Amino acid sequence: LKLGVGIVGTGVAAAVVAPAIPYVFFPLGHEITKGTGQFVVVGDRSLFSADPTKVDIYAERVDAWNRVENVKLGSAWVAERDGTLVAYSSVCPHLGCAIDFDVDERKFKCPCHRSAFGLDGSREEGPAPRGLDTLEIKDEDGAVSVLYERFRQGIEAKETV
Amino acid sequence: MGRAMDWLDDRTGMRQLARWLLDEDVPGGARLRYVFGSVLAYLFMQQVVLGILLASYYSPSATDAWASTAYIQDRVTAGWFLRGLHHHGSSFMVIFTVLHFGQIVLAGAYKAPREVNYWTGLLMGGIVLAFALTGYLLPWDQKGYWATQVATGIMGSVPGGGPLQRTVQGGTEYGNLTITRFYALHVFVLPLLLSALLAAHLWLFRRHGVTPPASLSEAELEAKQGRFWPDQLFFDVMAMALTAAALVVITVQTHGAELYAPADPAANFPARPEWYFLFLFQLLKYFEGPLQIVATVIIPGAATVFLLALPFIDRNRDRRLRRRWPVLTVVAGLMAGVGALTALAVVEDANNEKYQEALAVAEEEAVRARELAREGVLPEGGPAVWKNDPRYATIELFRENCATCHKLDGRGGEEAPALTGFSSRAWLVGAIREPRSLRYFGGTKGHDDMEPYPPEELPDEQLDATVEYLVSLRNDPAVPWDQLLAAKGKQLWEDELDCNACHEVKKGAGGGSPNFHARGTRDWIARVITDSSGPDLYEDEAEMPKFGDKLSEEQIDALAAYIHEQGLPEK
Repeated sequence: LKLGVGIVGTGVAAAVVAPAIPYVFFPLGHEITKGTGQFVVVGDRSLFSADPTKVDIYAERVDAWNRVENVKLGSAWVAERDGTLVAYSSVCPHLGCAIDFDVDERKFKCPCHRSAFGLDGSREEGPAPRGLDTLEIKDEDGAVSVLYERFRQGIEAKETV
Repeated sequence: MGRAMDWLDDRTGMRQLARWLLDEDVPGGARLRYVFGSVLAYLFMQQVVLGILLASYYSPSATDAWASTAYIQDRVTAGWFLRGLHHHGSSFMVIFTVLHFGQIVLAGAYKAPREVNYWTGLLMGGIVLAFALTGYLLPWDQKGYWATQVATGIMGSVPGGGPLQRTVQGGTEYGNLTITRFYALHVFVLPLLLSALLAAHLWLFRRHGVTPPASLSEAELEAKQGRFWPDQLFFDVMAMALTAAALVVITVQTHGAELYAPADPAANFPARPEWYFLFLFQLLKYFEGPLQIVATVIIPGAATVFLLALPFIDRNRDRRLRRRWPVLTVVAGLMAGVGALTALAVVEDANNEKYQEALAVAEEEAVRARELAREGVLPEGGPAVWKNDPRYATIELFRENCATCHKLDGRGGEEAPALTGFSSRAWLVGAIREPRSLRYFGGTKGHDDMEPYPPEELPDEQLDATVEYLVSLRNDPAVPWDQLLAAKGKQLWEDELDCNACHEVKKGAGGGSPNFHARGTRDWIARVITDSSGPDLYEDEAEMPKFGDKLSEEQIDALAAYIHEQGLPEK
């Protein structure tokens, strides 16, 4: 009798617990937000020089049940190096703070944990495990666009998420 | 293992607690009729768990509520199932509350010394209904929105209820505060209240014990003594399992709870409350004007007072049925009244064709809205889901490209003909009567060649025939025409009115004025939008920009379909 109570009771609980598991872990196997992975026009070629310029990335974003048109997804640093344009994600590869540019020292600096990066994006000091993440950049008849992506933080390799 | 348990027990006293919880005498033995309370406790706990699960995806704001509920229902794995269990679970709670109440009344368990326990039970019954009422609104769909409007409207119509209504709904009309308040009530206030009352209820139950059958003597009760654990608990768990199984079956069969289109304050939705409130809904129909208060306050209030006062009305300690028939008759009468009103409401709706039609439309809208919601809902929320409809994109396209010159449904410029009812019979009649008015070509540069035809020159009857001829020339399967009338019109066109002096009717023929072959069909409209300077169209006088350079073929086709639709008979 006692065993029966235990078994049946477990069965009753399972009616909720079993579906609750895939329900709770739904974000593991499904894309919840969308918006990265697309080229976004960030400005005219004439805006950019050897001094890094911060550009905001605006694009359509899907966030669970919402679809938002022309919303800010993040930002990137764009600079001219050896005649071509480069773009760095402004997300620190350490733990995701927003990277700043120090005009006096001519270095990218993270405001959180002292990581600093050279103009070429390489790590110079601090706890960051890798240099700044470069983003693909295109110049089509003067219209500059950046492929906006996000990368896993805290590891040496650059992996998109 | 055993030693670890001993250690834990030594530090916590958990075995003592378990014994206190489970060890209980059941005088007269375990019985199936005692299960209702336990099933209710199980249902409540399950509702709490399900509620927490739903809250992990649901967003309580007027803009997000519907879209997040649709996300749970249609996107998240097993979301529809868990939401369905929660929805039907509330119905089950109402059913078991009534069964539990019935058992209490039959057993005479409201009598001394259990009066206070009876009252806590009644209060909990009220809270179960309050849960249902507040939860109904949360999806912010048409049904919840409109049904709850009625409930808060009742609140406001009671004398002195205005401030109460305004407080509950957070303002004079529904909005963000309505949903945050209902959410706070449903998710925090009511569960805490119910838990506290349930604790008191169980404490009092343990204090007084079960109410054994009145027919058994003291000696018999002692002889048949049972234990709560495991005797009664076995019955309880079996009843819970049956309930759970029924709940799962119903949830799967109905694919969970319904979710209608997002709340639209402009809709005329046929609002109905959940089935267990239908008797109150039905009652409202019988009392008009100032008498409404009879249905909203006096009758339900009197019934509530009667139930609360039951222990004082029936004070005799004798719990045997035959000694209590007056009270039992009144309670049975009340129940029968509720049942009859519910049945009346159901039958009335089933025979109400208008309601059934409205319901069918609402269900179609729900399917469409939820399909569109899969792309994500714009942040304006709720009804913004309709903007995902390609049709909406076409309307936007019209607004941006066409409405600067063309008026449609009262909005737009006057530099070109209005397109309301474009090329319908009425439109053609107007165009012939007064081609130079702003509605037609009066605002278009260089389109003033045609003379108006007033009724003196062209009687209505002849005009109708001419227009019918034009419709026959269009040869549009979407617009049938009268052959005889059209033949008469052809004659007028060629002989009397001499229209063919300017207008050609043979395919492709030019002549300075628009050709009427296939004029007004969808393809023709698309041609005009693309480039209106063809020899059979407006030639040198074409004023309209060539949208073929600006819009894609699909866009032009969509616009043509949209404009074509304006003149179809049902518009």
